[in-house]
Amino acid sequence: MTPAAPSIEAGDQPGAEASAPAPDTACVHCGLPVGAAPVGTDPYFCCSGCEIVYHALHESGFGDTYYRLSDVAREREPEPAKTSIDPLVLSELDTDGFLEDHTEQQADGTRTADLFLDGVHCAACVWLVERLPQELDGVLAATLDLPRARLSLHWDPDACRLSTVAEWLLQFGYVAHPVRQDASESRTEGERSLLVKVGVTWALAGNVMLLALAFYAGLDVSGDPGLATAARWLSMLLATVSVGYGGGEFVRRAGASIRLALRTRSLRSLHMDIPIALGILVGYADSAWSTVTGSGEVWFDSITVLIAALLTARWLQLRSRRLAGDATDRLLSLLPSMVRRVGPDGTVDTVRLDEIHRGDLVRVPTGEVVPVDGVVASGESTINNAVLTGESRPESVRAGSDVAAGATNLRAPLDVLVQAAGPESRVGRLLDWIHDGAAPRARVASLADRLTGYFVSGVAVLALATALIWWWIEPSAVATHVVALLVITCPCALGMATPLALAVAAGKAAQAGIFLKNESATQHLTEIDAVVVDKTGTLTDGRLSLIDAVGDEQAIDRAAALEAHSTHPIAEALVRARGSCSRDGSTGAGRTDPSQVAPAVAPTVAPAVGPVVEDVDAVSGQGIRGRVDGHDVIVGRPDWVRTFTSTWPDDPDRFTEWAEHGHTPVAVAVDGRLAVALSFGDALRPDSADILSMLDAMGTDVSLLSGDHPTVVSAVARSLGLPADRARGHVMPEDKQAAVERLQQEGRTVAMIGDGVNDAAALQAADVGIAVEGGSTASLVAADVFLTRDGLSPVADLFRGADRVMGVIRRNLSFSLFYNVAGAAAAMSGVVGPLVAAVAMPLSSLVVVTSSILQRSFPSPEPTGSPAPGSPDRPPTHAPSPSP
Amino acid sequence: MSVLYLLVPIALLLAGAGVAAFFWSVRSGQFDDVETPAIRVLVDEERPRSSDESPRP
Repeated sequence: MTPAAPSIEAGDQPGAEASAPAPDTACVHCGLPVGAAPVGTDPYFCCSGCEIVYHALHESGFGDTYYRLSDVAREREPEPAKTSIDPLVLSELDTDGFLEDHTEQQADGTRTADLFLDGVHCAACVWLVERLPQELDGVLAATLDLPRARLSLHWDPDACRLSTVAEWLLQFGYVAHPVRQDASESRTEGERSLLVKVGVTWALAGNVMLLALAFYAGLDVSGDPGLATAARWLSMLLATVSVGYGGGEFVRRAGASIRLALRTRSLRSLHMDIPIALGILVGYADSAWSTVTGSGEVWFDSITVLIAALLTARWLQLRSRRLAGDATDRLLSLLPSMVRRVGPDGTVDTVRLDEIHRGDLVRVPTGEVVPVDGVVASGESTINNAVLTGESRPESVRAGSDVAAGATNLRAPLDVLVQAAGPESRVGRLLDWIHDGAAPRARVASLADRLTGYFVSGVAVLALATALIWWWIEPSAVATHVVALLVITCPCALGMATPLALAVAAGKAAQAGIFLKNESATQHLTEIDAVVVDKTGTLTDGRLSLIDAVGDEQAIDRAAALEAHSTHPIAEALVRARGSCSRDGSTGAGRTDPSQVAPAVAPTVAPAVGPVVEDVDAVSGQGIRGRVDGHDVIVGRPDWVRTFTSTWPDDPDRFTEWAEHGHTPVAVAVDGRLAVALSFGDALRPDSADILSMLDAMGTDVSLLSGDHPTVVSAVARSLGLPADRARGHVMPEDKQAAVERLQQEGRTVAMIGDGVNDAAALQAADVGIAVEGGSTASLVAADVFLTRDGLSPVADLFRGADRVMGVIRRNLSFSLFYNVAGAAAAMSGVVGPLVAAVAMPLSSLVVVTSSILQRSFPSPEPTGSPAPGSPDRPPTHAPSPSP
Repeated sequence: MSVLYLLVPIALLLAGAGVAAFFWSVRSGQFDDVETPAIRVLVDEERPRSSDESPRP
């Protein structure tokens, strides 16, 4: 079955020669809207990546099956296909060092490895990826784990190289990268052993319940002494295993908590495990005594079910935590650990970063990230420090300039003399600091744990009261009723109320592109009353783009055609603003960010009828001139362009005004006349203003701290309606951290939203650190919450979701407390027996479980095709451009 | 009723077998990913899956 061709809305555009599809027509490959500038002619694609993959699938004969399966089990957000991969990652896959560190050799010389695979999202992906063994000789087995986007590969290194596998996957739009810094192994191990405990305790509980059923059905010691005694002893045997194997965890943690409480002399150190352990131990001891003496009640069934249910809740919580852990691993593994080293004879070879030493020479091609701290040895270029310092304007570097790891090289290749690499570089040291600093942070008592002190005291008082009352009524029944009280008030539902709600919320949040790395963040988010926001890359895109243009539209296109011959960042921004999205379809472009592909590529994909450009002359630091379609075109600094124009309007204020706003003004002259005035700058994200007004409406104090120039910062603050005293520029990373800590000392609960290396310390110090999409490694590691959805709208979802989760938790806690009070009253009046406990306890837990699962905290992602054309949800590279 | 003296131990043995099977399935990683295998069922293919389906040790 071939995919249905998209409907062509010819009627809407009468007179159009080849009528373009409606912007919301689904891309034939990925299903996202094609936008205003679709690629291809019937079928239409959203980008050339999808087009390439579509044809690759059909040429290899996979097309029919792929598109038949692609709608099955499509629970994940599809993305436009990527067809380029970092050549450094590819070359690393074949190095001996990589094979040694990240793959495992089997007895027969074959190897196994895990790779992350970006772009897998549906049944068709599973089918296609798992065809690897049939398609490539040397691949023995390929198993895809779809939720984790991990491919387990078993291959013969002599018959097939790993890079060949990656290239095969790439032609269908899957980008493979190695699994690095893998913490998932230990997480999996922890999950598995807890899951075994859950299974064993449920099996024991089930059998104990069966035996208990016999007692409830009428079996008793007087009627059939032999059978009843045997059943009791057997129950005790099973319950002993359950208490010792499953319940031991609660007892151990309760003991630790009591010791801590004694040391700190504070009820606040008590946590929920204490009443749980107390209920289990008292119930078990009393039942064991009844079994031995042959008289009294046995509670074994209630206890074993309690243990199994609580372990299940704990396992679910653990499992939900792996979502954030896996996502972190995946993002961190994207960093290439290969470097281009320039040898003494001038040859360039790629080596692993850990083989680089001080004094080596490293080449950084255009568009790549500088991998080391060092000094430029040769070359002249512009680098973007936005991630490191927050400066939005690119900085020029030449021989002798210092460059730091993490900066992006924008214009021309650079050779850098290494001064520090890896962990010794500034970014490396910062990462170490964050890792070390993460541990001693004070554990925040969760809401449920804060209740525990009161809860334990309350239960103790009630137990005493019960003892006194029954001592007075009937002394022989004291023990029975006190035990009944302790068992029935054992806070099963209370202990599950928080973890379950948080576990379900973490799963829903992850589906919405929000990853909660630590659970106390959810609670803190509802208490935030001060927010510190970074500017570059957070409120803004973090790169130059065309912000404003006044003048002749055609002249802009001519300027863009001319600028396509330059590699200046401004030229790149202009070409990007006027070009189509198809650039990232060019294969083999070795860039980490397809949007930063040098404009030199643009002419190759420009339509054949594009303008003719001749006599190009780029003047460094001033601008560029040339002939476009027979017209003289000059683009550059206004004062430079002015020297070529005979007439200059009397309204030069526009340029000064733009400069005052922190933007870069550019003039375009055509045939000796000023034709258009352009303004370039770091564009605000479309949703920035909404977020700030939402935070404001929540009653939080928002302050803007940026490392960028104060003029730019105050201009951004003005356009966002932020008071001038709340926005500061030239803020050092240490000052950001200090600012956060100062707010905390004033008693505020502070959230920090940022993306850069310079934000990492503040993210770490804040009560909740939120790293936005595309942030630096350091911010990702330091943050408590990170976003994988573009823009700032997930921040709003995060705050709203956290509010709702806390609502669910409060609802759960109130219900559990109500249940416990009712249970205590019943036990004191003497109506609670083992049967009542066996029915009431699971019922209360069931209510809490249902309430947690049915929560509507985070919005689940819309089905395919949700983002409106040109909406901020789309990657910036696919922004529709006006048709020429 | 004395048949229970025989039946209950048999029931326990069965439960023990279940637990052992569960233990094995967890250890061999069958619960690590519960989503992809469900999808794999949909892929009707002439494929001769190689003998070592899970290469992870």
